[in-house]
Amino acid sequence: MPITYARMKEATAKLYEWSLRKVPDDTLAALREARERESNEVAKRTLGILLQSATMAETQDRLVCSDSGVPTYFIGLGTRARLEGDIKRAIADGFEELVATTSPPLLKHVTNPLTNERSHRGKDMPLVTWDVIDGADYADITCQPKALGSGRWAALEIFTFPTLEQIERYVMDCVLKAGSQHCPPVMIGIGIGGSFDHCAKLAAKATLRPFGSVNPEPLLAAMEARLLEAVNATGFGPMGTGGDTTALGVHIEYAAGHGFTPVAVSFNCWINRRTRARLYEDGRFERIE
Amino acid sequence: MTMSTAIPTLRLPLDLADVRALRAGDMVLLEGEIVITAGLPTHLRLIECVEGKRDLPRDLAGAALFHLGSYSRETPQGFEVLYMNPTTSTRFNPLMPRLIRHFGLRAVGGKGGLDRASAEAMRETGCVYFSFVGGGCPLLSDAIREVLSVHWNDLVSHYRLVTLRVAALGPVTIGIDAHGNSLYERLSAAAEARLPAILARLAAERGTPPG
Repeated sequence: MPITYARMKEATAKLYEWSLRKVPDDTLAALREARERESNEVAKRTLGILLQSATMAETQDRLVCSDSGVPTYFIGLGTRARLEGDIKRAIADGFEELVATTSPPLLKHVTNPLTNERSHRGKDMPLVTWDVIDGADYADITCQPKALGSGRWAALEIFTFPTLEQIERYVMDCVLKAGSQHCPPVMIGIGIGGSFDHCAKLAAKATLRPFGSVNPEPLLAAMEARLLEAVNATGFGPMGTGGDTTALGVHIEYAAGHGFTPVAVSFNCWINRRTRARLYEDGRFERIE
Repeated sequence: MTMSTAIPTLRLPLDLADVRALRAGDMVLLEGEIVITAGLPTHLRLIECVEGKRDLPRDLAGAALFHLGSYSRETPQGFEVLYMNPTTSTRFNPLMPRLIRHFGLRAVGGKGGLDRASAEAMRETGCVYFSFVGGGCPLLSDAIREVLSVHWNDLVSHYRLVTLRVAALGPVTIGIDAHGNSLYERLSAAAEARLPAILARLAAERGTPPG
């Protein structure tokens, strides 16, 4: 059974709708652990309120946040999966149908950057990153609606032959600049290397990795661990009102490049919205996250 | 949650004595009348009102004006508000001191705080900043008891000027008090002060000397 227009439309719309109501399980676990560890009383309470909001949204089928973001997808197409129909249009149509039918209705966040007019549609929406998965008989679809509160603070700078020290210093500068404002505790995704556009993608993809996952490169695994500790030593805390938990995780992805080395830093707010599913050749629609 | 039982409730509108008694870092629940919007165009319209170029749709003297976006829609029974949630207040930094002073706002709020110029205006006027949890939509929306008015509904929903009666809204943390104390400023300064030690520790863990 090929991956059809209808299957892709349904899957992408459902993933979006689910992502607005359910904080991912790994994120809930990380928030609970953080609450146990917190030494700051206001921070402990704040984490409790965030968890309460997550529970209410999930059990009462409600939105966690009013900023439902803009639809952003990462799609890997298996080389053994067949496509049928206008797959790209399916994603746009799915979003259009969703905003027309979902309850409660979503606020208009899709913004024309030239006029600041807001609606539910716009050029290049939804934002999709396509990839190919060798040998797979499925399409792997991740939905990550991106909201203003944390999206605003992502940054990228290009260095020439930077030392690890320069890279880590830049990450800390970005963390200090965002300060209390990105709805912490955040997930921090870092991209190192590649080209300008590739590096930004790496940072975004790093945020998709579940908490507890460690980079297979020992050098980066160690950098992830020490940067997490460094970020949490800043003391901004949950919702930026002070505490030990400013980030729940720091994930790094890298790519080889030329000697000009971009470093990109991306933040996800505490909700860390992410849903993922696979559409298989055999007709299955498997939800993974 | 059991822990919220110990949190005191503040009744809005606040008077000057209420406001001066609050300290940055305190947690409270709110009840009474609040005015909310998440829109920059809305703030620009309010500035036009201050300048006498536009009529103010409702009195804001001594009001609680919060950076909360909401979904409102008109029904045969009047407007209903389906949900609300904070937005980042620092976006409105350049406009807030003037609004705080002109209207004598007693309370402002949202998430992420406001800058020093706003904190100064708040100290002079007697006004506090409440930090709402981002992503607190279910919890915060349950506090809505009544929709009192929806103005400027030519704007997209979250930009409208909405007046609500709420009960047990929060808990909220006082991010900036009426004595000029700002958690945000304090935490940023502390993080800057810690940065050399943080970088030294990163260097030690890397095993390379700091440059």
